[in-house]
Amino acid sequence: MARRQLLLRLQLHSNPEVLCGVRGAVAPIAGAIGFGEEDCRAITLALDEAITNVIRHAYGGKVGREIEIRFSKVNGVNADKPGLEILLTDRGAEPKPGALKGLPPGELRSGGLGLHFMRQSMDTVVHKRVGSTNRLRMVKFIR
Amino acid sequence: MQITARRLENITIFDVTGDIDLANSPAVRKALLTELREKKIPRVIMNLQGVKYIDSSGIASLVEGLKASRDLQARFILFGLSKSAREVLQLSRLLKLFEIYENEEQALAGESA
Repeated sequence: MARRQLLLRLQLHSNPEVLCGVRGAVAPIAGAIGFGEEDCRAITLALDEAITNVIRHAYGGKVGREIEIRFSKVNGVNADKPGLEILLTDRGAEPKPGALKGLPPGELRSGGLGLHFMRQSMDTVVHKRVGSTNRLRMVKFIR
Repeated sequence: MQITARRLENITIFDVTGDIDLANSPAVRKALLTELREKKIPRVIMNLQGVKYIDSSGIASLVEGLKASRDLQARFILFGLSKSAREVLQLSRLLKLFEIYENEEQALAGESA
């Protein structure tokens, strides 16, 4: 079982203007764990997309609703290759059936890319509904 | 994010600086669609040299611009993509659908499709 070391816990509101601040927080954390620049960008993108989805879909664009994010360093199977786990919790609406399947990229449409970016950027992307909360767990390990 | 427009004959160049995310992608979308659909500018160029970060909402705004340009038989051109912006467009598998140049000189000189 992976050991988890909580590094940072953020509580923010569902306001698009917080996205730049969260992006600024996650990249240095990922770098400190040992991720290279490209992976730091990928992790930043995944987190940005996840929060965007919470704001747009879970909270329907409403501002001022709570979002919690926990950043933890986790040990993988190989102790030399740690990972970053991001747990995102919100109290918004449950995703509609099929919403988490995502849409195939490459077609000229203006939506549906966020989930694709998350799955391409991270090793694990898992959503769970627990009571009235959504919990999204994303993990990426150093290769 | 800041977006300013320069107009040269039948060309509009949007100079964009900052990050394009959910907070400000609507402004990018509005600027593009106004120029293409309302003002009927035949060539709209986006200078993205100052854009260090773009997410799926930003890409969606660019896609809307591209679709509008195709509907109106106008040209929609990007130049100055950062590594990050290029990676995101690549990830979306939309990179090849856009007309992209390295710099403004190339974007202005780019031959008609």
